[in-house]
Amino acid sequence: MLREKIEKYLLDIQKPARYIGGETGSVIKDKSKVSVRFAFCFPDSYDIGMSHLGMKILYSLKNAREDYWCERVFAPGVDFEEIMRREGIPLYALESLDPVKDFDFIGFTLQYELAYTNILNMLDLAGIPVYAKDRGNELFNIVVAGGPCVCNPEPLADFFDIFILGEGEEVNLELMDLYKQMKAEGADKKSFLKKASQIKGIYVPSLYDVSYHENGIIKSITAKDGAPEKIKKRIIEDFDKVFYPEEFVVPFTDIVHNRASVEVLRGCIRGCRFCQAGFIYRPFREKSADSVCRQARALCESTGYEELSLASLSTSDHSQISDIISGLIPYTEKEHVNLSLPSLRVDNFSKELMEEIKKVRKSGLTFAPEAGTQRLRNVINKNVTEEELMRTCTTAFTGGFANVKLYFMMGLPTETDDDIRGMTALAQRVVDLFYSLPDRPKGRGVQVSISTATFVPKPFTPFEFEPQATREEIMHKQQILMDSISSKKIKASWHDPSTSILEAVLARGDRRVSEAIYKAWKMGSKFDSWGEHFNFDNWQKAFDECGLEMAFYASRRREYDEIMPWDHLDYYISKDFLIRENQKAQAEQTTPHCRLHCSACGVSKETGRACF
Amino acid sequence: MIKVRAVFEKCGRAKYISHLDLNRCMQRCFKRSGIPIWYTEGFNPHIYITFALPLSLGYESKVEIMDFNITEDEPFEIIAEKLNKAMPEGIKVVKVYSPQTKHTLIKYADFKMIFSGDVKSELEDFIENGNMTTIKKTKRGEKEIDLREFVRLTGCDKEGENTSVTLRLPAGNDLNINPSLVTDLFIAQCGKETELLSVERTAILDAEDKIFE
Repeated sequence: MLREKIEKYLLDIQKPARYIGGETGSVIKDKSKVSVRFAFCFPDSYDIGMSHLGMKILYSLKNAREDYWCERVFAPGVDFEEIMRREGIPLYALESLDPVKDFDFIGFTLQYELAYTNILNMLDLAGIPVYAKDRGNELFNIVVAGGPCVCNPEPLADFFDIFILGEGEEVNLELMDLYKQMKAEGADKKSFLKKASQIKGIYVPSLYDVSYHENGIIKSITAKDGAPEKIKKRIIEDFDKVFYPEEFVVPFTDIVHNRASVEVLRGCIRGCRFCQAGFIYRPFREKSADSVCRQARALCESTGYEELSLASLSTSDHSQISDIISGLIPYTEKEHVNLSLPSLRVDNFSKELMEEIKKVRKSGLTFAPEAGTQRLRNVINKNVTEEELMRTCTTAFTGGFANVKLYFMMGLPTETDDDIRGMTALAQRVVDLFYSLPDRPKGRGVQVSISTATFVPKPFTPFEFEPQATREEIMHKQQILMDSISSKKIKASWHDPSTSILEAVLARGDRRVSEAIYKAWKMGSKFDSWGEHFNFDNWQKAFDECGLEMAFYASRRREYDEIMPWDHLDYYISKDFLIRENQKAQAEQTTPHCRLHCSACGVSKETGRACF
Repeated sequence: MIKVRAVFEKCGRAKYISHLDLNRCMQRCFKRSGIPIWYTEGFNPHIYITFALPLSLGYESKVEIMDFNITEDEPFEIIAEKLNKAMPEGIKVVKVYSPQTKHTLIKYADFKMIFSGDVKSELEDFIENGNMTTIKKTKRGEKEIDLREFVRLTGCDKEGENTSVTLRLPAGNDLNINPSLVTDLFIAQCGKETELLSVERTAILDAEDKIFE
């Protein structure tokens, strides 16, 4: 039995509780009584995957159906993988401890591009051929993917049978229903995929042909076998009534986000031009204060968590945020639950909200001005002014905080050396502000940290046409930043741009990139988002061997009329809107948020009603 | 505030829960159970639980002991029932009572171990004549000790194809001998190919070898 084999080695590896299941809230069913088994795979470690909210939602949703059983699978750590390969332990699911290759569906969530090699590694560990074409025609082991990166899944097109576009609550069940029905009819995989491609939100990559010009730019994308020309993403119409789990699996080991979490809104009204999530999750929809409070309470009671988080892209944009907080506080205080509010924007960060945050005992606050000067903030449409930031810092400092972290992006379109120096200047003004306040925290110095990340242009944003800054440009900018800092109260940190370059390649890659991913994995690449595992040389070699240039994908400017690899996927964000926004960015003009003014992005045209 | 002691089992998959994780796990079990649990009253209120003896990762036990407080009277059997509803697979409360003793009275613990193959005579010989000098890590560094004076063999039997052994070892605040110190020495000196298949704590005792309650 697999379980005995696993247990034999568990005490030889780090944090064995991650590999044996049995957590409170995990769902055990009798496999002889279920008709469809779904292995929900997170292509990263347990500690990261178990923090992911989307997995919790879909896990509960599928398991709520009596005849479907969804189980969890994570990428094993390097120490355990070595044992698994040596001892012939296949990748298994945590509930039944059955091999992944016994499952009807093998579903991955694509949260970030640097996890792609882990997908290949996990399929291989499961004993499943990584290329879809090598997996035969039996209706079984259907490999599917969902999540934000599915908005351009082309670099993974060769490995997957199906991509699921948009929100998964309805379409996942529709897909499983179809499978169950066709399995009973004795259908084969090909006919299942053909039929599945007719479901809204289902993209079957093998039903599309892509041709290229000699210069590598896409010539055409053609649908065949009756598959739709454009695949539309799915949207949940009534977000307030949509399924939300009343139970979470509560892990034994400490994971990244170990807490109860209620999703309070979907979409974002802000339209920051660099932010993919701000566009692909539109339209903006809120959950009512009543539903939030009810779900929060149910979750706290069933999990026993001591921390509750209100999750969304921008929680303080909820129109009923004060009702939610005042509705929750009597309960959370009585039950000793800490309320945590991630994703607050600086422009509506009030004293009351800060009082709540302080209770979770954080020593510092984090703000993301994203750019150092107002000019560049206008370009990226991050409509936060310096006065707003200063006002918020005043509230924070007088409230007892003395550490402030400022997040910036480096390599934004139109960025100059002055914009880089602007980061330091802004940090210095925060330092000056601290010492100008008579009621600042006494006996402590202020510490302002500048944290920079290399900007990665993403599909479905107004910057999808833009080149990423090259490695040389980024190095130059980092030097400018370091040279501009003269105070000990300001610290700067940055990351090696290599991972961001790879991220940019994969984010806007086409189908030819599949082969490079395969080669890089074959050379040993996995856990690319983990600094200690990342090896850029592997990737460079892989692209060289495929005759592809990373710069073609990362640092090339696209014309407005170029066919993008994702142009057949419809996220309702119109190309005209993206072009308009790109032109406004070049002209340093801002766009108001959706509540103030509709900018006709295309979403309301699809939903048939105004968002506000 | 009422003091309460619970005896619980930690078996099966639960043996992979480390001591640190067990504390967190119990905090959440208490919260889920809905019993009127007492929180500490400091700046950072949390559920107050003390474990009598930490259990090494990978060991099972029938006799784990934890103390906590409740704020209002509730029958012990109801507490056990509510806790068991909230416990993960492998953890089960078997007894709840009002503690009359302090954890400091704990002096010994029994461990039942299963070795693969028939190593009964080898084991008896080892306990009698083997070299039991080993290095013990303490807070103040490493120290060489002879385990012979501390180890008592209380049972050794064939169990199917395997051999089951019960050792009584010092436990508690003054001196703790982890059974792995003994089993590592035995496996090295056994002369036969054998593997330690499982370890289970079967009793916690006081200075008079009476079950600690």
